[in-house]
Amino acid sequence: MATSYASSAPASVGVVPASRLPWYVWCSVAAVTSAMIGVLWDISWHQSIGRDTFWTPAHLAIQFCGVLAGISCGFLILNTTFAQESPLRAASVRIWGFRGPLGAFIAAWGGITMLTSAPFDNWWHAAYGLDVKILSPPHMILAAGMIAVQVGALVLILGYMNRASGQQKARLRALFLYVGGMILVALTTVSLELTSRVFMHSAHFYRVVATFAPLVLVAVGRASRFKWGATAAAATYMLFVMAMDWILPLFPAVPKLGPVLYPVTHFVPSGFPMLLIVPAFALDLLRQRTAKWGAWSQSLDSGVVFLGTFAAVQWPFGSFLMSPAARNWFFSTIYFGYNTNPLGLYARYQFVAPETAAVFWRETALALLLSVLLIRLALACGDRLQRIQR
Amino acid sequence: MKRAPAAVFSAMPLAAIFLALPLAAHVGSPDVFYEGEAGPYHLLVTIRPPQVIPGVAQIEIRSSSRDVRQVRIVPLRLTGPGALNAPVPDVAQRSTDDPQFYTGSLWLMNTGAWQVWVQVDGPQGPGTLSVPVPAAATRVLPMQKSLAAILVVLGLVLFIGLVSIIGAASREAQLEPGVKPDLQHVRRSRIAMGATAVVLLGALWLGRMWWNSEADGYLGKIYKPLELKATVEDGSRLALRLNDPGWLNRRTDDLLPDHGHLMHLYVIRIPAMDLVWHLHPARTGDDTFAQPLPSMPAGRYALYGDVVHENGFSETAVGEIEVAAISGKPLQGDDAGGAAAPLVKADYNSVVAPLSEGYRMIWERGPMPYRARQPYEFRFRVQDSQGRPAEGMELYMGMQGHAAFVRTDRSVFAHTHPSGSVPMAALGLIADSNPHAGHNMMHGEPPAVVSFPYGFPKPGDYRIFVQVKRAGKVETGIFDARVEN
Repeated sequence: MATSYASSAPASVGVVPASRLPWYVWCSVAAVTSAMIGVLWDISWHQSIGRDTFWTPAHLAIQFCGVLAGISCGFLILNTTFAQESPLRAASVRIWGFRGPLGAFIAAWGGITMLTSAPFDNWWHAAYGLDVKILSPPHMILAAGMIAVQVGALVLILGYMNRASGQQKARLRALFLYVGGMILVALTTVSLELTSRVFMHSAHFYRVVATFAPLVLVAVGRASRFKWGATAAAATYMLFVMAMDWILPLFPAVPKLGPVLYPVTHFVPSGFPMLLIVPAFALDLLRQRTAKWGAWSQSLDSGVVFLGTFAAVQWPFGSFLMSPAARNWFFSTIYFGYNTNPLGLYARYQFVAPETAAVFWRETALALLLSVLLIRLALACGDRLQRIQR
Repeated sequence: MKRAPAAVFSAMPLAAIFLALPLAAHVGSPDVFYEGEAGPYHLLVTIRPPQVIPGVAQIEIRSSSRDVRQVRIVPLRLTGPGALNAPVPDVAQRSTDDPQFYTGSLWLMNTGAWQVWVQVDGPQGPGTLSVPVPAAATRVLPMQKSLAAILVVLGLVLFIGLVSIIGAASREAQLEPGVKPDLQHVRRSRIAMGATAVVLLGALWLGRMWWNSEADGYLGKIYKPLELKATVEDGSRLALRLNDPGWLNRRTDDLLPDHGHLMHLYVIRIPAMDLVWHLHPARTGDDTFAQPLPSMPAGRYALYGDVVHENGFSETAVGEIEVAAISGKPLQGDDAGGAAAPLVKADYNSVVAPLSEGYRMIWERGPMPYRARQPYEFRFRVQDSQGRPAEGMELYMGMQGHAAFVRTDRSVFAHTHPSGSVPMAALGLIADSNPHAGHNMMHGEPPAVVSFPYGFPKPGDYRIFVQVKRAGKVETGIFDARVEN
């Protein structure tokens, strides 16, 4: 049985001022936003200009995330630890003698991880050459750091949200769902090389998406206690990526690296987002109707519904993206990076060769299994997140 | 081989294993030297390719004109779609000490045959020079111990930090503010920390496998020189086979003629390096060649076969052969040979090499010692027995001369021309290029002086084989050079 602090808990313990949101919540949201703008901008930079330095605006936006998260959360932790009168002191966790909100520790860990990836990435380039790809060990350490900052922001907001009420709770919930959407942006960006439109008629594509999307949608939706939580997070993801798709090509850019296989005059966006809003909406609907079911039953149904609805919309949408009707600024299929092979499948709007029946069904089964298991994990995470107080 | 350590961070220093191999064009002499005209401007261009690909090539340009306003440099592929569109050029930086010297750096993004455009602007108008460059990864750089130590410390902090965070999350995060965790929460926290540590160790193990896989993939891209398998058939016929040890999608049946020959073969007796032949084997199959040998004493010979692939990528196939005394045929066509004192009697101060009929070759070297990685113009004068400039000079395979720079330990071999170390066949592939680019197009008799732009890649003792043609006969002058660091 838990006991109360005898000495350090002031009368106002756990009471959140109703006037406005604390500064570090905004800092964490700004850090998350900066990182995601920076990442999509940086990918576009490598598609359009190619050559970069540590000081490109896109890199600075990414590093700003780590610095802002590190400084703001570091200050928050130090202030909570050493300021005896801090109202956060009682609503904090203790790590290595320091006290602070759990989310602050997670975000600070993410910031340090991001900074650690920089010298490792630099060495990687020197040892193996510049890796012109997203999926490399140092890049994944950077991604882990960024996602940790996002999760930290999520937990920081959640701790407040679970102690708040009324209008403030609603505002915190909106920020929580926004950060949840940003986590989807981060994970879809990490998997960008595996989710290009040329793969949309392969079961492997759906297996890749099943490794992260159901987990985020269900966990965020459940933790938010909002009936359309998953839908809101998916909508955030789609709107953010679409906005970047529409804004980036407005700015001129020319290649500074060769070989130039495709002439480029403006920033090249990463491509239209996946239609995750549809399975998210279906998951929300299902959650409202199966709330009293057992966790495994919910997981099984939700896994089938996620995969079924996603494939039902994304498969034909893949065909649409390959068609002349999608070749406009709205769907962004008119843009190609300077190093896009003009004879390659992507430039010729072709899908990769179909998988064999055995591979297709194996990948489909794995996608379904992952969906069910990750939704079960998401339900457990969501329940625990609902109880986060600190 | 560079592989991920057992624990990704904790053993990084063990993973830092140095690996270096000779670069494609020539052997152990990766830098490209080219002397030519960019419109009205005469330039000497030095390109130092990167050791990893993608990587940064260092460019040095010396103009013989004082009136150059600006020099711009840009990399393109030598052939294919990448040769059609140029990225934005970089402006080369003019040296503050030497206004005729410019430097810059360019990314070479993939393996293969590239070219660097040097665009010059000045009062005489614009001019462009294209220099072919082979790009191939040749090594894995080690991780410095200091960096490894920093990463190990940060890795440990992050590992322990994440375990602690999960522990705190299980212990306190769900408690009402002000409530202390009880024994049950503490116990649950410890279990969560242990589980997290196990999961993290698993993630590190997977990361190590991934790192190893990436490192293995990179090692597969590191340049592996062509091997020259040689045998002597019928007593005096040299049979050669190009053996690819397996490097990317290289072919051995796609060679371009260079000066009219698919292969330029240097045969040098080792270890004395006192006998040299410059031969031109004829193709007998996709990857086989044959060459009638001249009379040769028994011994061991090093073989260096220069070839150029159809995409412009040039390389030197290397081999050795042990032969019994050969009673061969006289040299014919462009084949030539020469002799000098063995290396043990090398005179590193001599600047005179005897030629036939009392002629001699004079190396116009200055008093200053040669230093590694510095471009020099090696200038040789041919004189008759009275010290007068030789008459009857001719072009040898379209050039005023050919020179081979060989380090005495054979770790360096470079076959160069008066225009530099660029193969003429690669120059001929440049779009809109002069089909005779790099060749001497002078009318009338060539002068009795020939020069070669080149820089020694590393310190040590070198033997230089210089060949010119006079009165229908190829003459070989042999010199020795000591190179300091």
